[in-house]
Amino acid sequence: MPLLGSFCLLFSLALALYCFGAGVLSLLRRTPATARLGETSRRAGLACFIALCGAGFALVYAALTNDFSVDYIHAHTNRALPLAYKISALWSGQEGSLLFWSLLLACYGFVLRLRHHVDRRLYAHASVILAGIQVFFLLVVNISANPFGVLDHMPRDGNGLNPLLQYPEMVIHPPMLYLGYVGLSVPFAFALGALIMKYPGEKWIHITRRWTMVAWLFLTCGVFLGAHWAYSVLGWGGYWAWDPVENASLLPWLTCTAFLHSVMMQEKRGMMKMWNVWLIFVTFLLTILGDFLTRSGIVASVHAFAQSNIGAWFIWMMGLTLIVCFFFFFKNQDHLRSENQLESLVSRESSFMFNNVLLLAAAFFVLWGTLFPVITEWVKGHKISVGIPFFNYICLPIGLALLLLTGVGPLLAWRRTSWASVQKNFLVPAVLAVLVLVGLLAIGVRATDFAHTMALLAAPLSMLVGGTILLEFIRGGRVLQPKLQTNMFSAMVHLTHRNTRRYGGYIAHLGVALVVIGLAGAAFDQENEQPLRVGEKMQIGKYTLVSQDETQDDNANHTSYSAALEVQKGGKKIGNLYPEIRLFKASEQPDHIVAIRSNIKEDLYVIYAGRSDDNVPVIKAFIKPMVSWLWVGVLLVIAGTLVALVPNAAQLKSLVPVPVTVPATASASAFQKQMQPVGAGK
Amino acid sequence: MKILRWLLLAALCSSTMLMVGADDENSRFEKAGGKLQCMCGCNQKLLICNHVGCQVSPAMIRDLKATVQTKSNDEEVLDWFRQNYGVTAVILPSTHGFELTAWVVPPLILAGAIGVMVLVIFAWQKKGPAQAAAMTKVAVDPHMQALRSRARRETEEI
Repeated sequence: MPLLGSFCLLFSLALALYCFGAGVLSLLRRTPATARLGETSRRAGLACFIALCGAGFALVYAALTNDFSVDYIHAHTNRALPLAYKISALWSGQEGSLLFWSLLLACYGFVLRLRHHVDRRLYAHASVILAGIQVFFLLVVNISANPFGVLDHMPRDGNGLNPLLQYPEMVIHPPMLYLGYVGLSVPFAFALGALIMKYPGEKWIHITRRWTMVAWLFLTCGVFLGAHWAYSVLGWGGYWAWDPVENASLLPWLTCTAFLHSVMMQEKRGMMKMWNVWLIFVTFLLTILGDFLTRSGIVASVHAFAQSNIGAWFIWMMGLTLIVCFFFFFKNQDHLRSENQLESLVSRESSFMFNNVLLLAAAFFVLWGTLFPVITEWVKGHKISVGIPFFNYICLPIGLALLLLTGVGPLLAWRRTSWASVQKNFLVPAVLAVLVLVGLLAIGVRATDFAHTMALLAAPLSMLVGGTILLEFIRGGRVLQPKLQTNMFSAMVHLTHRNTRRYGGYIAHLGVALVVIGLAGAAFDQENEQPLRVGEKMQIGKYTLVSQDETQDDNANHTSYSAALEVQKGGKKIGNLYPEIRLFKASEQPDHIVAIRSNIKEDLYVIYAGRSDDNVPVIKAFIKPMVSWLWVGVLLVIAGTLVALVPNAAQLKSLVPVPVTVPATASASAFQKQMQPVGAGK
Repeated sequence: MKILRWLLLAALCSSTMLMVGADDENSRFEKAGGKLQCMCGCNQKLLICNHVGCQVSPAMIRDLKATVQTKSNDEEVLDWFRQNYGVTAVILPSTHGFELTAWVVPPLILAGAIGVMVLVIFAWQKKGPAQAAAMTKVAVDPHMQALRSRARRETEEI
């Protein structure tokens, strides 16, 4: 099997090289012969995917059959490992994850090449650019990180998978994240292709938008699953530690989010063409930078792969990509001139611009904080630590400013909005926001420190966003309700179906508001830790934990210790919790199985921290307010994005068509009115 | 308009009330503890280092309690830890020397970016009418008009 895997890898490299070379030649000259050459290039790209499937299969087969003669399998699996985790070994180490990256890239390329009939010339350009990226990753896998390296002896058992990765979410989280990362290569390929061929019109933006949203959705799911895994497994009570590898996933997410917003300006007004092209370029570069940070060992991270010498590959790739992007940008920049310019500071366009500046600033700040230890080492000769508090200080205010824009943006019309209209639309959400603020103050919440100040501001701003979105749905529903002769809810559903992109976006924004409320809850965490013998009690907030029993279990993979705790509130039993710690035999590492009792108000989060010197179980408990809002919010963001991906329903036909002849001057004002959001200016 | 003014007034009153609240010694301990990491190699914040049997975190926590009582402000507490446990014990850049740039650069960049953007928008606003007139001239060319319509028609069908 290792031999077959190595052969498949080499063969796929040859196919990718052919796809790239023949593709370039076919694009340079347009003759029937080169058209045929282009078709062979496309087919080589398709075959590359099949060859890489063979390589992926060979590695998984080696894992499933305990072929420990393969160094990678020996390092990342063992005999006792459950089946699902053996499959996940494909992406749990440096070499395997690079093979997996190549495989996903080939998979995206496969779909793209199958859909070439949409626009043959543009797709041919995108296919060649993807092939170029594919060649890079396959060179790395074949030369520097081959997963099919064999040992000179056959060990009896493997080292096993990192215990922290032996969790169901960890089987899904990396593929989701990788689908997001790798998927961002596709909009890059389209953007660069469109720039190279000076693609007329905005059709490439329409094509790219879907691919970008799909990649963004996967990335969002990946980040969410990672955060949820950290919360459920790591046992420190948090979900985001601003670790360099976590930051690496956030960077392209931020720039991609900026692109998804600013692209609307290009579609609707023909503006921001240069900006959008560079946003895609930067997003792609950040995915490569993320790879570099994760794999080079330049920054310390609990998530990073082992330190290796493959970092140089990624520096070269980033350099080469930048040169290519700059070359074609300066060569063809005339093609990217805006058709319109911004007319007013108070307009939808300007809100998108501010949104973009803030998102890019956030991305820069995260990058700055991530790389600052490295910069300090260059300048002063020693590394420093930059952790959670620094990122919170610099990023939370930006986050709140973005939230404010999320609330205000939908109230603004394209081109320009009158202040009277803004004030009128702003009134109800603003009153709701102020009421929330006053309510929080009334129940005794005070801005005693930075975290509490941010939390106090986050809640009313989230209300502002929620109020704005709700009003948008109600206004739209009111317009449609009499026409459809249905109830308000059905009218709103129909409204969403008529403009999925707009109302899907609103649902996603509502999710963001819930996420922020969930994050704000962290300012009010409580915790307690104590050794707990059977029959003893510990208090955390309004809850009392009573130890009922303690057990020990043993299997081939791990030894586990757990406690049975009765949870009481106000003297009444409300349930049981079973926190557990597992000591994995192959790696000799511990892992927590956190016990969580969750409701809409708060989570009771209990971990079996270990055993004290006198061999008594030590229980650590947290109360974490509003955490479930965070998870629900992310699900809403995902749901909103899925809605936005659904095509619009056919427009409602008016019962009696009325031919209207509009004088030239009146048509301009009618157009402007049409550009107003529902309810604006009324 | 009147209601909006009342809203602004209410917001102002609320923000004044937001300031109410004072630090006690316990909250100083919590705050400074949140800016330190356990030096046993677990990379966790000092106060949430969650493995029993850690030899380092209890001593660090004892030192933290002592320094909070003897030092007058948080920066002095953090400096004490930098000197005694190494610079990596503190997970915040210092507010002096080269590390100050970590704090200064982000707000400067943000202010610069917003400033440039506002200037660009104002410049566009000034240029707007002249450009609109120029675009109208082009728009009346029937040949260009037909080409534009065709391009729009063909590019709208995906």
